[in-house]
Amino acid sequence: MSGEAANMVSEAGIVEVPLAQTGEGIVDCELVRWFVKEGECVEEFQPLCEVQSDKATIEITSRYKGKVSKVNFMPGAVLTPCFFGFFRVGETLLEIMISDGDGSFKLEEKENSQREREVLATPAVRSLARQLGIALKDVAGSGEAGRVLKDDVLKIASVKEAVESDITGISSTPAETGETVPADEITDFDKISADRVEQMQDDKVIPVRGFRRIMAKTMAAAASVPHFHYMEEINVDALVKLRAHLQLQTRSKLTFLPFLIKALSLTLVRYPILNSNINQDASEIRCKTWHNVGVAMATDSGLAVPNIKQVQKLSLEEIADEITRLSKLAAANKLTPDDVSNGTITVSNFGAIGGKFGSPVLNLPEAAILAVGRIQKLPRFNEEGRVYPASIMSVTLGADHRVIDGATIARFCNEWKDMVEHPEKFLLSLK
Amino acid sequence: MRPAMRVLRLQGFPIFRQLQLEERLMHKTDENWCIFNNGTSPPTIVMGVSGSPEELLDVDAVSRDGIPVVRRFSGGGTVIVDEDTLFVTLICSRKAIPSLELFPRTILKWTGELYKNVFWDNPDFTVHEQDYAFGQTKIAGNAESISKDRWLHHTSFLWDYSPPRMAYLTIPRRAPAYRLGRSHGDFICKLKDYLSYREELAELLEDALGRHFFLERTRLEDVDEEEYKHRTQFVELLRSPI
Repeated sequence: MSGEAANMVSEAGIVEVPLAQTGEGIVDCELVRWFVKEGECVEEFQPLCEVQSDKATIEITSRYKGKVSKVNFMPGAVLTPCFFGFFRVGETLLEIMISDGDGSFKLEEKENSQREREVLATPAVRSLARQLGIALKDVAGSGEAGRVLKDDVLKIASVKEAVESDITGISSTPAETGETVPADEITDFDKISADRVEQMQDDKVIPVRGFRRIMAKTMAAAASVPHFHYMEEINVDALVKLRAHLQLQTRSKLTFLPFLIKALSLTLVRYPILNSNINQDASEIRCKTWHNVGVAMATDSGLAVPNIKQVQKLSLEEIADEITRLSKLAAANKLTPDDVSNGTITVSNFGAIGGKFGSPVLNLPEAAILAVGRIQKLPRFNEEGRVYPASIMSVTLGADHRVIDGATIARFCNEWKDMVEHPEKFLLSLK
Repeated sequence: MRPAMRVLRLQGFPIFRQLQLEERLMHKTDENWCIFNNGTSPPTIVMGVSGSPEELLDVDAVSRDGIPVVRRFSGGGTVIVDEDTLFVTLICSRKAIPSLELFPRTILKWTGELYKNVFWDNPDFTVHEQDYAFGQTKIAGNAESISKDRWLHHTSFLWDYSPPRMAYLTIPRRAPAYRLGRSHGDFICKLKDYLSYREELAELLEDALGRHFFLERTRLEDVDEEEYKHRTQFVELLRSPI
């Protein structure tokens, strides 16, 4: 029995290719079809065949450039994968005569160690590659004269496991042992694994630029403003139904946000004090005519708050399209100064990311901000006194206490809430 | 920067055409896709890439009632789909999620986390063996197709189902252990008992996908129709002689 499934090379330069692990432990696979035939030349990474496990069809690709010398199974055959690393129990899928690219066929494996020595790399990089199990000959060097640098090795290590395999793309995973990862250990699957974290020795320094810089300055200034917060719950059952119905009638991306923003604007007509700002020495409050509603957006560069101009004149579709347009610009870091200036009130939909409650900070010089949490299904009583599942959204209003008092916020919120809970009332404002 | 993903929302699209579309998008494009189809017509039996109709179907009843049978290009089992089935398909390139190894189990783990965020208010949501389930009842079947640098994961959720239609399928020989020999009715559950309306699944999914991808709505007419030799084909059944 061979200890290493990879080193199944005969003196004649023939590689025996087993069905290596498909990432599901020892699970029989059915050979569905071949992409190559005996006598055919194959390139590195070329698909050889397709197999099927319980739920998936998987393409098996070749690690070698050569010629298919023997195919051992017909489509429909059930195969046992090779359990490499310990001993081999699986069958040989096919045999490939190795080519070195100049037309002759000779053993590639015997020259591996020599090729390894010929790669340009410092001793530190070689040591790192050895630790990660990366063969330097497999790494494309980005340094001068093809020198392999530390980042080149780390990049390779981040996309593949460091194991020997006959077939590209097959590697061992913890799942092969048949272990189940407990649910509470499955956190954010985009995070780097614990093994990788150990290799990242240096702290990360992030310069405060762009949106981050603006956010830092704005938040520092807001800290000196007397904030107060008012919280409410909104039953959005009617809005959920209406949105679903209207989404089928329009090409615009109609999330809940356009409805909330339009309702906000319709209510601001009666409470212009919330759409205002106060001057620096708190001697003058200016109520704005335009409803330029800012929408907080999380981008890779930090928090951006572009605003939708003159919402009081826009339809739901136009608001939705503006949100889409500004989101794309924000994600591409292409917002203009006009997009992010002259806002009069801000809406923060942190519920889209997660979270139910928040204490929003004012986007100065604005006097009010509305933060919307995630919609939850909660038990509520209906008019007959029966419990039913209701879609409940929590909102928090933040306000500058130099400008707005608690009673005003409460009355404003009551009217806005009434409009959101009874969206048919939007029709009363049609002109 | 999040990679882009094109989102295609269909309504009542025939499943045969959907599967052929998915094959083309998987093999002829290098873009990331999410396809949502709200129901299909006519009711159709869809089999995995291999498997014998004689073992998996009541062939006589299927033939007698003229139910179309399609063999798809991905692995997995047999389902009957109709106007009450909600389809979700994800097609991604390896580079879209570089940390994701392209194996069935790792992909299912990733999509399981995605759907955990979709069904965020149901603590019973789990991945049971290879199914999505609420507790011990299955809510969706799924299957995959994996190539060197691309993967596809498609799922069919039962908004509702018709027991007479389920009778066209036999209980498969290889069933998950947690099925415990239960009939279809005791083993699977209806999504309409958990969501308020059909489109809510697509909206929740877009919310969850939006954390990983920059979503771009696409219309069917904007998808290129390229020549491709599809493996998704109709299956001709042989009835037992009378």
